[in-house]
Amino acid sequence: MIENVTGRIYDIQGFSVHDGPGIRTTVFTKGCPLHCLWCHSPESQYDRFELSFLPVKCVGKEKCGGLCLKACPNGSVTETNPEESLIDHSMVTKVSIDREKCAICLKCANVCPSKALSPTGYTITVEEAFARVNKDRFFFKKEGGVTISGGEPMQQFAFTLNLAKKCKANGINVCLDTTGFAPEEQLLQILPYVDLFLYDIKHMDSKKHESFTAAPNERILKNAALLADNGGALQIRVPVIPKLNADRENLIRTAEFCKSLGSAVKLVQLLPYHAMGKSKYTRMGLSYKLKNVDPPDDLTMKQTLEMFTSLGLSAKIR
Amino acid sequence: MDYDLTVSDRIQRLREKREWYNNGHLRLNTERTNIITKYYKEHEAQYPILKRAGFLYEWCATREIFIEDEDILLGGSGPRMRTINFMIEAINQWIPQSFGDTDEIFKAAWQTPGCVWVDDEERSDLISAAEYWKDRDILSHIRGFMPDFVYDHPGNGVSSPARERSFRLPQGHFVANFEKAVKVGFGAVRRQAMEKLAEVENNLTHENARSHAFYRAVIKLCDGAVLMSRRYAKGCRDKAAVTSDPKRKAELLKMAESLDWIMENPARTLWEGLQVILFYQYIISADGQQHGQSIANVDRYVGDLLDKELAEGTITRAEAQELFDAFILRIGDLIAMFAPPDNQELIKLNREGRSLFNTLGTTHTISGGIHITIGGLKPDGSSGYNTASELLLLSFRRLVVPDPSVCIRVNEHTPDIIWKIAIESSKLAGGIPQFDNDEVIIRSLVERGIPIEDAREYGIIGCVEPTIPGKEWPCCGSTGSFGGITLIAALNLCIHGNKNPMTGAEGWLPCKKLYEYESFEELLSEYERQVKFYVDFEQKIFQFFEVAYSEFFPCLSASVMMDGCMESGKDVTWGGAKYNAFGVMTNTIANTADSLMTIKKLCFDWKKVSLRELYDALCVNWEGYENLRQMILNEVPHYGNDDPEVDELARWCSDVYADNLMSYKGPRDCAMAAGSLTLTANVSIGKATCATPDGRRAGEPMADAISPRQGMVENGPVSYVKSAAKLSHHKFGNGNQLNIRFDPRSVEGDEGTWKLRELIQAYFDLGGLQLQFNVVATQELRKAQKDPIAYKDLIVRIAGFSTYFVHMTPDVQEDFISRAEQFV
Repeated sequence: MIENVTGRIYDIQGFSVHDGPGIRTTVFTKGCPLHCLWCHSPESQYDRFELSFLPVKCVGKEKCGGLCLKACPNGSVTETNPEESLIDHSMVTKVSIDREKCAICLKCANVCPSKALSPTGYTITVEEAFARVNKDRFFFKKEGGVTISGGEPMQQFAFTLNLAKKCKANGINVCLDTTGFAPEEQLLQILPYVDLFLYDIKHMDSKKHESFTAAPNERILKNAALLADNGGALQIRVPVIPKLNADRENLIRTAEFCKSLGSAVKLVQLLPYHAMGKSKYTRMGLSYKLKNVDPPDDLTMKQTLEMFTSLGLSAKIR
Repeated sequence: MDYDLTVSDRIQRLREKREWYNNGHLRLNTERTNIITKYYKEHEAQYPILKRAGFLYEWCATREIFIEDEDILLGGSGPRMRTINFMIEAINQWIPQSFGDTDEIFKAAWQTPGCVWVDDEERSDLISAAEYWKDRDILSHIRGFMPDFVYDHPGNGVSSPARERSFRLPQGHFVANFEKAVKVGFGAVRRQAMEKLAEVENNLTHENARSHAFYRAVIKLCDGAVLMSRRYAKGCRDKAAVTSDPKRKAELLKMAESLDWIMENPARTLWEGLQVILFYQYIISADGQQHGQSIANVDRYVGDLLDKELAEGTITRAEAQELFDAFILRIGDLIAMFAPPDNQELIKLNREGRSLFNTLGTTHTISGGIHITIGGLKPDGSSGYNTASELLLLSFRRLVVPDPSVCIRVNEHTPDIIWKIAIESSKLAGGIPQFDNDEVIIRSLVERGIPIEDAREYGIIGCVEPTIPGKEWPCCGSTGSFGGITLIAALNLCIHGNKNPMTGAEGWLPCKKLYEYESFEELLSEYERQVKFYVDFEQKIFQFFEVAYSEFFPCLSASVMMDGCMESGKDVTWGGAKYNAFGVMTNTIANTADSLMTIKKLCFDWKKVSLRELYDALCVNWEGYENLRQMILNEVPHYGNDDPEVDELARWCSDVYADNLMSYKGPRDCAMAAGSLTLTANVSIGKATCATPDGRRAGEPMADAISPRQGMVENGPVSYVKSAAKLSHHKFGNGNQLNIRFDPRSVEGDEGTWKLRELIQAYFDLGGLQLQFNVVATQELRKAQKDPIAYKDLIVRIAGFSTYFVHMTPDVQEDFISRAEQFV
């Protein structure tokens, strides 16, 4: 039964307005072969469920009985200085996580009543994921539908393929948000079930690509051409990140590459870099690697847009 | 599809003038108080409706005529462009408190630069007026009629708690027949009344002798209305005589010519139409009906005049736009208050530079409460949108003012440009406009007995309440205050054995305590029994109230034009209108549904917690039961997340109220209309309510109107609106309200606008009645709290009204911030 195939995901989000046309519901899978410096979803990068800690939700050991302190086998949950409770202004002792010692066994998350400690995702079957998506179908109208995103959804190929199939069979428009860093044959296999690929091009220079994302770009560029040649529809997504890829030369090369894919490219989305994922790193006890980079200004974005549209490409900011 | 946002120099000057008033030049309208008090003192024995007519005539004949240099449209409800209205015969006991204080405190509260100013003469006038009205006001008359049990029984939090406060207020909340005032005029109405008078005289009976008085009153008021317009005409000529600017002089003379014509005769131009609406509204306001009286379908009243003028070339689009701009600003000049906060609080506000005007609390809202409805349908079902609809809505977008309220009626004909302006405007200023679903509202009106042709012409009153403008006396403001049924209080009685644990007061229906119920169904049927009882109790009070009210405080200003009154010879409060209704609101739907769900899941289905344990936790406000509370917050499904079981409970618990209410015939033999709206009462009701099984701690705010609970929405706006759409919206004939807040990032640009339209449309296709949204990030609101000056223009939608965020009291601000923010 394909419905029983499971996937590891970190969220399903309704009214997902930035992940393809129309009102969409997005399934975010875990695990990614790339590790982009600017990644705004650190919880998406690894296949395993990590420990997320949101101190503001912690009610303090006086209120919950310090369940996490007792549950931790490694002594990595430690008490912090007493502070005022948001609930009733009494003094409470919250905890912090010693990430060095933490073995990510998630025992603390399993007992935390307030979910201040929680795993960064859960396992779901294709059937369950479909049922959740299907609940929102009334809102999809002409253009909307499901977006399978990540991480890199192709990394959980069986789940992604079957979810796409199931949605497609039920008349739901399918977008696949992919880095393109996946085996050729798998991309060809899923192609018939995907209405639109949201396809990232991060840098045209393979060396630089590798230094920013931990993977070279040859396979990605090749696969884009492969999908285009086989009738795939592509919406190319280009993050615009000052100091990394926003130089004129790279942007022109990117635009030219998009142009070379011909009519398969329906739209190029230029995504100005933002640092809004930073707080997620803190929650996971990670450090944000990209330093000293500011979002591009409006003028840069406008000029970038012109670079693409002047080649006859349909393009937009965001 | 683009539109012009540049306002004319004159409109800019008008805005600056408003600002000048708002910043320390606002006064109370003592003129009306003096005129009515003098008239009532001199005519104590006169029959109430004749007294009303006499006073209104006197007001028209003697009020100060003022015309400011900035005026494009004329008049006001008081002697200046902006004055704060209050109704001395309704609420007056704040006056001895506020003005009878020591000179030192009085000066600090009312005579400090920047405050709402009351001079020494006004102070003594008002104190003596209050002394006169003390035993002659609405409250005294209601008390003189009501049976004791109304006062003896506290309603126990379930039926409207502040009985004494409620009874003092006028009903307000109706839409007068502006269309008739514009298209027919007071002259024709006067002639009709003369004929009716002769008819009655020729066939006088015990029954219609009272109608004789009614027609006499109508004639008197018509004379007053025409006289007032002529007095303004003279004012224009006097002003023209001393004006050196030839352009302004010509304009004043042209206005004078129109003013001699209008009110008596049908309006001939857009300017005349809009001026008639304003004058009529001022008269209604002078009649004391200052509580959410609305104007509704302005585009219908003047749309033909505009089209005709555009076709004839006597007006340009830009000129028409300027007139609508001026109209919106002048309507916003109608401001009223029920009672100010006490002097110490005022002094504090003055010190903070906020003043009485800039404060929004639950008991002293300063707003006109006027609602304007845009577009809709014609009686035959074709599109009711016209050029005036577009220009009128555009004025709201151009001016960005929180008052008056505005809604657009959504149906298949709603033009793209209206959608675009509406959503772009609302992204900028919360809730301007709100969106109303024609299909559901028309169905709800038809279900309360209104023929479909009239139902199609509905307009919105106050916040969200639908009515048939000019044809219905809807009383949707119930006893003039926040009349309503608090569902969670009924459930609390079921939990605490018929006791309100906050007050210790016993209710009327003895019942078990939570741990004594043997099944969930038993609890549900007890809840049903309690709600049924208090709905019955509440409607009895309204029946009494309406009789008492109609005897002493008829509403002549509405009756003069209202369909049905001329024919029947009856005032609207006597049942004269073509249609009648009575609206009673409910609240705390989300808290009640979530509470029931908690009990069902934890105690019955999952058996994780015993009823006794939950009961004990509630009794001690969760002290020592934090893990149980967290389990409720984190594991039990909450309304607003598209969970079928809890959503069904939400539907059921509100239907119990609606079905019971609608089974009664209300005052004037009318249909009772159910609805859900809270204004800011979700905060005050929360303050007065003990811990509830949904994990809410004692004193915390309740959810607002039909919106899900603050902080309990995890699945985003699609699930949010889907849950809300499952309520029985067609039973909410008195309207309801869904609030939703977006982070700006999630709805930016044209694409965001389009997606919001899709979301609203989908909610309406699923059967939702009304929706309004705010687009503002939490961090912006936090910044605004810290730096009110920098954020003084930030407008947000609270309930049925929009307001400046920095004018809200801190507890209301916190509640607003905690309402779910939906973003991606």
